[in-house]
Amino acid sequence: MKMEPKIAQRIVKNVLLSLFIYALPIVLMLLTFYFSGERPWKKQNNSNTEKQISDKK
Amino acid sequence: MIKFFESVFENLSTWGLPVFMLILGVIEFSLGLYKKHWSKNERILDIVCYTVPKIVVRPLVAYFGLKFLPLALPGFKAAFDWVPFWWGFFIIAIADDLTQYWYHRLHHEVPFLWRFHRTHHSAPYMGMAMASRQNIIYTIFFSQTYLTTALVYIGLGYPALFVKGIKSIITTLAHSSIPWDKPFYEKKWLHPMAWVLERTISTPATHHAHHADSNDDGVGHYKGNFGNMFFIWDIIFGTGLITRKYPSGYGVKSYQQEEWYAQFMWPIFKSKKEGSELAHNGPMVAEDPVQEKHFLHDEDLPSFNPAWKSVFTIPKSQA
Repeated sequence: MKMEPKIAQRIVKNVLLSLFIYALPIVLMLLTFYFSGERPWKKQNNSNTEKQISDKK
Repeated sequence: MIKFFESVFENLSTWGLPVFMLILGVIEFSLGLYKKHWSKNERILDIVCYTVPKIVVRPLVAYFGLKFLPLALPGFKAAFDWVPFWWGFFIIAIADDLTQYWYHRLHHEVPFLWRFHRTHHSAPYMGMAMASRQNIIYTIFFSQTYLTTALVYIGLGYPALFVKGIKSIITTLAHSSIPWDKPFYEKKWLHPMAWVLERTISTPATHHAHHADSNDDGVGHYKGNFGNMFFIWDIIFGTGLITRKYPSGYGVKSYQQEEWYAQFMWPIFKSKKEGSELAHNGPMVAEDPVQEKHFLHDEDLPSFNPAWKSVFTIPKSQA
């Protein structure tokens, strides 16, 4: 039994739209960081470096 | 009592959800909502499907996944633990549920995959007993198990567990035979809330329609309503049908009450029932005994995109 071509076409179309939906929250988060000036990943890097220095001491 | 329920929800990802399901299941049984459909074969199948993934599949995937990921992606351990909790929650909720929507939809639309998902639909009843009922292959490849393991590894474990908890509650309640959403459709002042609710998350009305044994009554919609936590995917992709009613029958028309082991382990074990989809040389998809009606994808439906018809149409009974 084969899939109807109409259904296959609809799947392809909807998958493309899904890729956009997957990316949307990530893009929104990065845009928020861009406009607010927040850099949470830097904070993380700094605290990691501080931890490494204190561990060495 | 309140403290007990608080601790159930606090421990949802461990013992909380099973307790929540047990309480709901006991209520369903005492209300007689299984209507004598729960035969010995169904009972064994439901219990095996509930326990095996929890005791065997998920722990094994988590254990080997967390051993394998450091070798495959050595630089990514806790690499994203800087992502703020609520952003993590938002990103994971969408990624997880949309992936599951596709996993589920493809098992319905790709004929080759149907028999791996048939077990979930063969139950002629709704409720806690059948909510976890799945073929073992469907369970092994279930996207959420791998996604949660990977997210824990890259440092997004807390938001992932939070999403998992909320999703479990919504999907459990959508499978329940208790029509908790009915008051939203009956009381006129609750209609605006119902409108938002039924388009956002899966409800018993929309998810029961997906488990209907027929589409002929205009309520059943087993070729759509694929959403698990969010129903919005069905709205966006045009696979949804909202009627605010519950179908009269559940299951699949071709069901022959195949042996529990064949339903659980197909294609490793096959059914002895002649002509069954699960039998040796059985059809990939059994012939539909009833002429199907398509609601949202009929060419003759008017307007720019028929998919949006369900968004803007209020069922006649509610008008």
